[in-house]
Amino acid sequence: MKIYVTGMGVISAIGDNVQETYASLLAEKTGISQGTQPHTERFKVGEIQWSNEELKTKFDMKTDGSRTSLLGMVAAKEAFYGHEIRNDIRTGLISGTSVGGMDVSEVEYKNFLEGKEHHIENYLNHPSGTTSEQIANELGISDFVNTISTACSSAANAIMMGARLIHQGMIDRVVVGGTDSLTKFTISGFRSLMIFDEEWCRPFDETRKGLNLGEGAGYIVIESESSIEKTKKTPIALLSGWSNASDAFHQTASSPDGEGAILSMTQALSVAKLKPSDIDYINAHGTATPNNDLSESKAIKTIFQDSIPPFSSTKAYTGHTLAASGGIEAVISILAIQNKMLFPNLNHHQVIEETGLLPVKKTTQTASVKHVLSNAFGFGGNNSTIILSEV
Amino acid sequence: MYYIHTLASITHQNSFQQENVWDNLTVLDNNSVVIAPDYKLYISPVAIRRLSPVLRMAIAAAKECQQTRSSDFDSISVGTALGCLLDTEKFLNTFHSSTSDTLSPTAFIQSTHNTIAGQISLELKNHSYNMTHTQNSLSFEVALLDAMLCCLEGKTNVLLGAADEAIDFLKVLQPTIIKSDLQFTSGASFFVLSQEQSESVIGFKACECYFSADDVKSLVVGFLKKQGLSLEDIDQVFISGKEYMNDFLGAIDYLDFTGLHYSASAFAAHLAHDWMKKHQKSYALIINEQIKGKLGLILMKRDEA
Repeated sequence: MKIYVTGMGVISAIGDNVQETYASLLAEKTGISQGTQPHTERFKVGEIQWSNEELKTKFDMKTDGSRTSLLGMVAAKEAFYGHEIRNDIRTGLISGTSVGGMDVSEVEYKNFLEGKEHHIENYLNHPSGTTSEQIANELGISDFVNTISTACSSAANAIMMGARLIHQGMIDRVVVGGTDSLTKFTISGFRSLMIFDEEWCRPFDETRKGLNLGEGAGYIVIESESSIEKTKKTPIALLSGWSNASDAFHQTASSPDGEGAILSMTQALSVAKLKPSDIDYINAHGTATPNNDLSESKAIKTIFQDSIPPFSSTKAYTGHTLAASGGIEAVISILAIQNKMLFPNLNHHQVIEETGLLPVKKTTQTASVKHVLSNAFGFGGNNSTIILSEV
Repeated sequence: MYYIHTLASITHQNSFQQENVWDNLTVLDNNSVVIAPDYKLYISPVAIRRLSPVLRMAIAAAKECQQTRSSDFDSISVGTALGCLLDTEKFLNTFHSSTSDTLSPTAFIQSTHNTIAGQISLELKNHSYNMTHTQNSLSFEVALLDAMLCCLEGKTNVLLGAADEAIDFLKVLQPTIIKSDLQFTSGASFFVLSQEQSESVIGFKACECYFSADDVKSLVVGFLKKQGLSLEDIDQVFISGKEYMNDFLGAIDYLDFTGLHYSASAFAAHLAHDWMKKHQKSYALIINEQIKGKLGLILMKRDEA
């Protein structure tokens, strides 16, 4: 059974939509800069320039919500644009988020701690599940709503959940992806872990020191064969493989040899019925932390042996957008397929000595990009891989 | 049919390692506390100190389930409505009150929703599929749907669970945004599912979620009809609250026994399982509308032996 991708939408520091994102990718233009908000100003972050009020008016929102919700609505609306709600197509939204409405509750909770005026109704935005309900409401979707919260692999897992529901005939069409906004909670959290790079992050570089955080959202619309017969949509890609596996090594660190990553990539290839040599491009997780990139490199070497496909991390463009990253990178993977284009791993100067892997360094037009493998790894050793293919 | 091969709940009831939870069940008063097992039997002392109550409860319940199985779980699906609230609050307090550049990361690390399922995989050294669902009052139901998918995909040893924890701060939200005046409680319920029957006779038959439910009774009737059943076929209805008692005469309000947390329908499934076992009845239905308009329906069945 084929699963068709019939829409995509994205917002991040490199663009408000698919077109702007593609232009930034081609121009090798990063969206990461010194933060402008009180909680981001000390760091280099992939910040979206619009305030919440600007997002609501600029993107014509009917539904109010947290920043995480609003960013999700922007990308999900772009993905779902031109699609119609119909009684004969069971339509859902499955969205990943790690912080949900924390951007709202952390402010209220500070008011509470300081004995200031406390707007209790604002906590209605807090639950991650509510984030998805607000996005679904904006799209008019009510048949099925599901939120996945597995930290940085959330969106990839949401995509996988949608594919599996379609496979079993439990849903016909589903908007899948993820969203996360920059919050003081996550900034403080990653600061406490001491895995920030104060300079621009350098994925897969020997001198990498850590990540830059980002915010954004990315969604794709996937449909069953019977759904696409009714909607007559032109598919832009196929979702051909998916898998999730557990590293079971450490709550935050990846295992040295990338055991969970090897499992998720191997199983995704198996679901897609592809050989490693069929993969034309890998959009790596590549957070630029010393631990992730070494572990992921080793896992890639284990699977692809001596013929490693072109690979890059696009996190030096967007920053690490946490739960949204798998959705944003699914859109980037589809752009690679549509345009037969490989996007570079910015800021790369020196290969990791231990593995010697050289990522794509320049925007590269190629003869064909038929299959793209995209990794997303999260806290708790939660490793996910999806494979997108040419129609 | 998704047979339940083993189940374990740690709640405000004496529910853990009991032959039948109905033997010691009481209607909770507003001062109830978690009846915890001796966690040292399940978790190392170092880890116990580090782990919040909800993590201890979930790990112990999951490990109890594992002990009855001869092989490792081949999938893990967990639902949680609000996740690890205690560590979330602890980390909020830390960064809001600290001016220091060094913060302890432990609370942050353990604050993410998937710490529950992630810690289970770590404790069990389990490399299988590991998923965390959160959908407010339908968090258990969506995790159950995922567990059913795993079974349909051929998995035969699927760990399904739900866990949530109460913290004092939740009382601040009553009654402004949480209308119920019930006591906030904590609970962790875990089940091992498979389509293979072996020794089991009770299981989950069907589950559906509705996100704009207006007419609960007609949705229930429609849901049962799809299963070839009518309300008369249901031996016992378990329902969240007393609003629809006239529509479902003789229903048991499971919140009397679970207290208030948004994944309480997981323990309701445990209650329904043990009720069918005790009374040798065939069908139980769980109607979960803890949040108005969001409806979860779970049909459970017992095969005639």
